[in-house]
Amino acid sequence: MLFGKSIVHSQILSKTETTLADDMKLVSEVLLKDRKATAEFIERYTDSVYSYVRRRTMPRADVVEDLVQEVFLAAWHSLGNFRGDSSLRHWLLGIARHKVEDFYRMRLREHEMPDEIDGDISEWAVTPAFEEGLDQKLNLEKTHQVLARLPEAYGLVLLWRYMEQRSVREMAERMGKTEKAVERLLARAREQFRKEWNHAGA
Amino acid sequence: MPAHDWDGRFSRMLGDLPEAAPEETASSRLKARVYSALVRAQQETGPLQSLTKCEEAGRGLCMWEKLVQISPIGEKAKEPFLCWTCHARVLGEHIEKAPIWWAHCPYADFQKR
Repeated sequence: MLFGKSIVHSQILSKTETTLADDMKLVSEVLLKDRKATAEFIERYTDSVYSYVRRRTMPRADVVEDLVQEVFLAAWHSLGNFRGDSSLRHWLLGIARHKVEDFYRMRLREHEMPDEIDGDISEWAVTPAFEEGLDQKLNLEKTHQVLARLPEAYGLVLLWRYMEQRSVREMAERMGKTEKAVERLLARAREQFRKEWNHAGA
Repeated sequence: MPAHDWDGRFSRMLGDLPEAAPEETASSRLKARVYSALVRAQQETGPLQSLTKCEEAGRGLCMWEKLVQISPIGEKAKEPFLCWTCHARVLGEHIEKAPIWWAHCPYADFQKR
């Protein structure tokens, strides 16, 4: 029969159900350039990579899709090195992290660093609304909104420093700037974030 | 000047974001686009796995792939990324919930889940 009942389509497992054996089997099939296995690879891991990249590029939602594609292409080029020491998802997120940091570095390198901290930057002038928001870790949506309203360099430098937990020294080295310049940029970014936060209201 | 721990405060707020929010879902359009790019990259390094071997590995072929597979043409002609010439790919890459329904089409499958 020409279009008879086909072989049962492989079950797509959720991220939490995949095992190392599943990962290794899928990797070997993708390396053999099995187009159907490649589709399963994309289906299984795109959400994780997308979610990871999106949260780290909030001020620049327009670059998310390109970065996700770059992650998978880079993964293909080094898939032969995957040894299963960690899950495939974890391995892919490692590549995503590099791609995101390359993006931060590239965008912030182009940004003109402030020479001085302006007189009106007064981080010690804490307002109750901001304190409350920080201490209660509340309102993720508001955090996203505030980050999206910041100038690109401010949003990215905050994400790189606090979400990726990179030291000022590491950031300065990767950007080819001085630590002082990065500190000044961070101070401005924090101040602008605080202003936007309070302006956005409760 | 009171010594506020700004690094600590921002770390707590932004550092907790990924764990606090549920995983977001990529569009089927993005999956389609990434899939096409990846298979094309695979193809640049040599022929893809044959359709017959793909099927033997337990994954079904779409009706167009099946037609090509049983056609009396040389195996070389069956190796390329056939989806590249298929309208399902174009629809899948540009339209969310594209009208593609046939079985075992990766572009249709991306939209189901």
